[in-house]
Amino acid sequence: MRASNKLRTSLAITAAASLIAVTGCSANQPAGSSTGGTDKLEITSWWTSGSEADALNVLIDGVKQSKAGLSVDNAAVSGGGGANARQALAARLQAGSPPDSWQLHPAGQLKSYVDGGQVADLTELWTQNDWASKLPKDVAEAQQVDGKYYTVPIGVHRGNVLWTNPAVLSKANVKINPTGTVDELIASLKQVQATGTTPVCLGDKDIFASAELLESIIMSRTGADNWKKLFTNEYSFDAPEVKQALEDYKTILSLSNKDHSAITWDEAVKKMANGTCAVSLMGDWAYGELLNAKKTPGTDFAWVTFPGKEDIFDYVGDGFSIPAKNIPHADAANAWLKTLMDPKIQTEFAAKKGSIPAVTNADISSLSEYQQEAAKSFASAKVVSSLAHGQVTTAEFAQTYADAVSTFNGSGNVAAFTASMTQAQKTQL
Amino acid sequence: MTTSTALPPAPVPPVSPGQRSKKQVPHNVRTSRRAAWIFAPSLLVSFVFVYVFIGITVYISLSNWKIGTSPDLTLRQPFGGTYGEIIQEQRFQADIRNVVIFTIIFLVLAIFGGLIAALFIHHVSVGKGLFRTVFLLPYALSFIVTGVAWRWIFSPSTGVNEILRSIGIENPPGWTTDTTILGALNDPSGTDFLKVQFGIPVALLPIIFAAAWQLVGFAMAMYLAGLASIPEEHLEAASVDGANTWQRLRHIVLPQLWPSTITCFVLLLHVALKIFDLVVAMSGSGPGFVTDVPGIYIYNYLTSRYDKASAMAIILLLLTLAVIVPYLIRGYRKERKA
Repeated sequence: MRASNKLRTSLAITAAASLIAVTGCSANQPAGSSTGGTDKLEITSWWTSGSEADALNVLIDGVKQSKAGLSVDNAAVSGGGGANARQALAARLQAGSPPDSWQLHPAGQLKSYVDGGQVADLTELWTQNDWASKLPKDVAEAQQVDGKYYTVPIGVHRGNVLWTNPAVLSKANVKINPTGTVDELIASLKQVQATGTTPVCLGDKDIFASAELLESIIMSRTGADNWKKLFTNEYSFDAPEVKQALEDYKTILSLSNKDHSAITWDEAVKKMANGTCAVSLMGDWAYGELLNAKKTPGTDFAWVTFPGKEDIFDYVGDGFSIPAKNIPHADAANAWLKTLMDPKIQTEFAAKKGSIPAVTNADISSLSEYQQEAAKSFASAKVVSSLAHGQVTTAEFAQTYADAVSTFNGSGNVAAFTASMTQAQKTQL
Repeated sequence: MTTSTALPPAPVPPVSPGQRSKKQVPHNVRTSRRAAWIFAPSLLVSFVFVYVFIGITVYISLSNWKIGTSPDLTLRQPFGGTYGEIIQEQRFQADIRNVVIFTIIFLVLAIFGGLIAALFIHHVSVGKGLFRTVFLLPYALSFIVTGVAWRWIFSPSTGVNEILRSIGIENPPGWTTDTTILGALNDPSGTDFLKVQFGIPVALLPIIFAAAWQLVGFAMAMYLAGLASIPEEHLEAASVDGANTWQRLRHIVLPQLWPSTITCFVLLLHVALKIFDLVVAMSGSGPGFVTDVPGIYIYNYLTSRYDKASAMAIILLLLTLAVIVPYLIRGYRKERKA
């Protein structure tokens, strides 16, 4: 009888194992979707760092106040500049069990969700609340695809800020003029190099950092209008201005720390603040990072817009959309979107996040000096969308660009760069 | 599948426990039917989650699914266009170059290192256990953990370069950030089909070294087991015949370690082909993709191009099969002969 007992045991183990496998699969279902009801809300984002999580909590507290008894499930996914969160979201969308709302960049990134029929048309909500009139034209337009609104903006970041170390610059007797040319900037950087200090800190272990630097130089050389035309295929990556920008980029790369591909963007800006080098180009989320590292604005670090022929604001936006199908809690999701557009909430959010409010009627007097300057510039400068963050066009094109920059960092081959980008303009736009 | 060896003892006429042996288990129809039932769930699960999913990946790689968020499963025209597209990419070519170089150097380092360590431990008279632990310890760690440590060691501004600078070397190497290709075979123009320089990327060497450091203990353990199974009489007989240490090693020990070498080779090969976490932790893609590997390629394209990511996954699978299948066939033939 012992033998058949053994058989029974092994059968039981097999059964238990397959049961575990089955329940393991079902555990992948989103928390909260089974219980239903209108008093729940699930949101996904990639805001998990200290300052980002604080900022997200402002929004969560806001929606809870507007809808008493609401319980909010914060399903944020960390890492990879949002790549992991978008992965997790894509899997849920395909399985037909989306969260109530998710974070995304407007314009190009939004378009891929619209093309997939995955985001709800919010035009009615927009016209009901007259949101378009409360936003700068560029921001309102970025939330649309083919004239319909699909997302709600929460904040605006600037991508083309040159963070500087005042002590290092004054030691080299250099002043960077934001209205000067790229040539003047390079001359100043060479002057810094003559004093024996590395002029530029760059940390492109994640390639977006050098992609953003190159994008800033291209914008400065081509101007805002031509930058926009690059993505409607009315202006070529083969243009002499773009080629000049690539040569400038090569020069600036040679003036950077040699270990740039081994460090991250935040390590690079901290090095700049510590006086290892004079300047570092990064989006204004660097401001939050520097404050977090106990650096004092004005003394440890300062900022100028990346020099160029005109004042350009490289817009990196954050917003939220809701699913087109299978939305679990539609009422709560609507309340969430309305909360996001509350000027007071946007200001409080910006204070934590380091961005500026998207709505123009927000009171920004309580925000930092940098943010007030950025808000002023946002109102007056030419606003363009970032390619390095996949906002100006499709994710596919943005990835092609990131790969081309990576290749260029190794080879410095201008012809190869323009060849692959003009090819992408033909086939991917 | 040799199910008979894994069978639980079937109910047989009562025998005293001491007599129970393998030979008495009748290989009849009833037992094999029972065996089939026991293995059915795991066979089904592995069929669905391995082979069906491989099939799905092949299909996606042939489809039009270009953007991560919206599945477009119609077949791409021309058929297999994604493969044609990626083999012309500089990044893809760099990945294939890197994974081939990585695999060759890594296997040589890990297997030779393991052999030398095993011979050393086998012949050392004191502290055998200590040495065994020292060599085997890295194997217990995860690649991501050792990657962080090695990243710091080979970082251009810290680690070994700190030591090099302190002994007066002004410009220490950039290690994982170096874009030099050793022994470059061609000069790519960027518009030709060959868009990458073939040769040995210098930046890859520290990563290969770290990977070999981690797995040398595994090879050592394999060789120690092999060494223990060599009959002492063979060596004694050789000594009596006047063979010196080198001759004994060359004609008795090494030939008998051949099976261990083959096992090491197969088991380490897939580690090399699949390498991802160590490279991510140490250098990422590197400037000009000098340290990019297929794993990172797949990961990068998972939100922008499902078809490209799937095609690369299939190419990686084919690379693995190209080496594993001949080994499996050889093993199968041997089994049939026996």
